[in-house]
Amino acid sequence: MNTIEEKLWNYIDGSCNAEDQQAIALLIEQDEVYRNKYNELLQLNAEFAAIDLDEPPMAFTYNVMETIRAEHASKPLKAAIDKRIIRGIGFFFVFTISVILIYALASIHWSAGVAGAHGADKSVLPDLKHLLSGPIMNGFLFLDVVLGLYLLDGYLRKKGLSKTDESVQTSGQQKTQ
Amino acid sequence: MQSKFSDIELIEQTLAGNQSAYADLIKRHQRFVFTLALRFAKTREDAEEIAQDCFIKAYRSLNSFQRQSKFTTWLYSIVYTTAMTALRKKRVDTDSIDDENTYIQIENQMGGYDVNNVENKSRSYYLNQAIAQLLPDDATIITLFYNGEQSLEEIGQTMGIEPNTVKVKLFRARQRLKEKLERNLKQEVNELI
Repeated sequence: MNTIEEKLWNYIDGSCNAEDQQAIALLIEQDEVYRNKYNELLQLNAEFAAIDLDEPPMAFTYNVMETIRAEHASKPLKAAIDKRIIRGIGFFFVFTISVILIYALASIHWSAGVAGAHGADKSVLPDLKHLLSGPIMNGFLFLDVVLGLYLLDGYLRKKGLSKTDESVQTSGQQKTQ
Repeated sequence: MQSKFSDIELIEQTLAGNQSAYADLIKRHQRFVFTLALRFAKTREDAEEIAQDCFIKAYRSLNSFQRQSKFTTWLYSIVYTTAMTALRKKRVDTDSIDDENTYIQIENQMGGYDVNNVENKSRSYYLNQAIAQLLPDDATIITLFYNGEQSLEEIGQTMGIEPNTVKVKLFRARQRLKEKLERNLKQEVNELI
């Protein structure tokens, strides 16, 4: 059974049917108890509707956008790179190599015969002998060893992690079973 | 300045990669989301954290917004779920979620307001005070209905309940709010005497 207040709130909200709406309107007009209660609730309704919204701090939007930006930035590079860029770089290298090759082929004097036969063009190459001397070669090999160890370490770590993941998954499955 | 675009237009721009469109969307709804979060949180700092979390969650799942309901209804349901989860997390090891006495949070929420200056206290101050004393569900229904201009059906969608249940809950929430308002005003009069 609806109380007077409940009926009146429904009337104020317009959430009752047309028949009830008419009946309550009549009651408000004729019954003083209903009229007084209606006026009281109407005033309360107006006060509720005028409740102010709270204001968040000034930097609220900025903080949210910064978090979103940071999230974007921390995404793996693989996911962020556009495939078109990779294709573009590939195309650039292919184009450059082709141009150099075409230029090299075009500049060859095919009619000159075998090079060196007439004591002609001898390619002038830089002298690399001193670059391949002991300390430089050793340094290069040392760097190679360090890089190799670094890669091996990474590979073993990944392998170890995947093994533990698998064992966690299988133990989880066993538990659920 | 508020953006001239509708919510849906701003969402489309955001999905096309325009992040400033999402910033406009936040600016448009931040006050309501923050207020709604404040109905659950004990402090403004907690409410800010919840509100921020909601906008980040909404951004992440903007793709899944079906556009069958209003954006605000979808956003408010995120706020409601996030705030409820935060509330449970905070209170799980201390006290019951139904204990009204733990909702005396007025001092924190009314930061900056001179409580001793009786002259400054308007009826709206007491109303805010009474809302802060309500249970989160009651305060949420009142806020969604009056400030969010949501229909009973939309409130039902937001809170995951039937519209008829919303109607009953709204009636009870109004009654409790009225009682608390009257009690607070009486207390204030007694203190003055």
